[in-house]
Amino acid sequence: MPSAGDPSQEGVVEGGLALLQGLELGEQPTVDWDWISRNFGDEILPALIGHVYLSFISVAIALAIALPVGIFVSRYRKAYPPVTFVTGLLFAIPSLAFFALLVTIPGVGVGPFPVIVALVAYSLLVLIRNVVAGIDSVPAETIDAARGMGLTKRQILFGVEIPLALPVIVAGIRIATVTIIGIATIGAYIAAGGLGVLIFQGISQDFPTKIIVGAALATLLAILADVTLLRFQRLFSPWTRRAGRA
Amino acid sequence: MIEFKNVSKTYPGSTKPVVDGLSFEVLDGEICVLVGPSGCGKTTSMRMINRLIEPSSGQILIDGEPNTAMSGTKLRRKIGYAIQQIGLFPHRTIADNIAIVPQLLDWDKSRIKSRIEELLELVGLEPGQYRGRYPAELSGGQQQRVGVARALAADPPIMLMDEPFGAVDPINRSRLQDEFLRIQQEIRKTIVFVTHDIDEAIKMGDRIAILKEGGVLAQYDTPEEILTNPASNFVNDFVGKDRILKRLSLLRVGDMDLDPANGNGEGLPTLSDRLTVRDALSELMGAGVGRGVVQGDGDERRLLTMESIEALTKGARA
Ligand SMILES: Nc1ncnc2c1ncn2[C@@H]1O[C@H](COP(=O)(O)OP(=O)(O)O)[C@@H](O)[C@H]1O
Ligand SMILES: [Mg+2]
Repeated sequence: MPSAGDPSQEGVVEGGLALLQGLELGEQPTVDWDWISRNFGDEILPALIGHVYLSFISVAIALAIALPVGIFVSRYRKAYPPVTFVTGLLFAIPSLAFFALLVTIPGVGVGPFPVIVALVAYSLLVLIRNVVAGIDSVPAETIDAARGMGLTKRQILFGVEIPLALPVIVAGIRIATVTIIGIATIGAYIAAGGLGVLIFQGISQDFPTKIIVGAALATLLAILADVTLLRFQRLFSPWTRRAGRA
Repeated sequence: MIEFKNVSKTYPGSTKPVVDGLSFEVLDGEICVLVGPSGCGKTTSMRMINRLIEPSSGQILIDGEPNTAMSGTKLRRKIGYAIQQIGLFPHRTIADNIAIVPQLLDWDKSRIKSRIEELLELVGLEPGQYRGRYPAELSGGQQQRVGVARALAADPPIMLMDEPFGAVDPINRSRLQDEFLRIQQEIRKTIVFVTHDIDEAIKMGDRIAILKEGGVLAQYDTPEEILTNPASNFVNDFVGKDRILKRLSLLRVGDMDLDPANGNGEGLPTLSDRLTVRDALSELMGAGVGRGVVQGDGDERRLLTMESIEALTKGARA
């Protein structure tokens, strides 16, 4: 152990080594690889699939709301502050309390539904903001030229504004997706399934393997989703890569 | 022909008109330049032609028909539009940018493709090299050329150009102006060209509309006439103290009525007949002699004197 006044890196290294030793050599191994291989098909995989489902549905619904709302408020600027206020409030509610409150609403009950509602509510703020920021980033002279050449409002929206806003919109989707994948783990608390199931069980059964598997898969899923979305964005906006090569 | 009939524009929330009772005609195949100090309503006037802005009163006729006879979008597809900020679509390649209006007009693919080639060559960009690039991969001057090509794409009889060469450096601007004048020799469009630069107006215009503060037409005439007989003090001040010299820059020595040099040409500077009178004057003064010999491609040598130049400016003294 490093002495006081010597917060050297060695302390960190030693601690890390101790952890690794605990992982591999401890009396009760922290990661029980045997359990993982035995229960991959009937516990881990369903939890993973459930998690992908929860997250994907939530992002999709949130986007379906945020796109039209964002386009609307980018046109009718007066509506932007109230929209930001409401979605900002939703964003500020602690997630566990949000889930618990939704469950108490008559007719809602436990399960995926209230979790999806909460996850959608959480992502609206960042998605709407990025839709508006993306549309605002379209150069005014591009729009003017488009009008001057006789494009209709609709053609300008779908052919100019949305394609040019896409990088900023996708940046918002990436943040929303990573956030949702993380928060969705808490959904297991109200029986929504997902990787949170493994984590909660691991805690109650005092079985670290389940916690680590749940957390690791949620992290990997978030990274994978992020990278995939970035790829998607680059594929659909090739001009952003080639800009500045004049 | 484009006819402004007593056109006025007052923007909402304001009581003062920015364009006030404008009436003039733009003849077919001519470049009409709208010029005047900043804020005098040039852009507003131009944008009322293709109804990006609707006039508060008055009417604009195109070939005798009010420009309100069809929808704004339909009208705009028939009128070329080029602006200082260019406004190329950053997410479309050069070829796709040029194809925008032809596509709106449902031209077939092969026709669009050959039109793109033709236009890129017309504005001096090698199609093979530039077709597939994005606007950000071009220099400012090259983007301006694409902007002009795009405005010409569907071969509209009318073009609106709002300071189209305003954002490039003076050397490139002068080159773009020369190229455009050359192109206009071929295409003979009816062009409304906005600039705040009187020199550009004199160079580009077949006719110049000088606007003053409040969007009032101060004079509408040929460059020659405006420089020779400015209609008011405002015009006189606006064209500048050097208006006599500017007028000389409109003339070429080859077009002057000069006597043969015969034997008098010994030891005098030789001037190309393509020089403007202004440049020739500069040469004469630089050489320190009041005379020079004008020679073209042929053998004919003619004598240019200070007196013959002065005779040209007589009408403009007043
Ligand atoms: N959309 C608008 N709303 C209100 N005022 C405007 C608008 N566009 C231009 N103006 C005003 O009208 C006047 C003329 O503008 P403009 O036609 O752009 O002049 P120019 O092109 O000659 O510089 C200016 O005083 C400008 O501030
Ligand atoms: Mg202007």
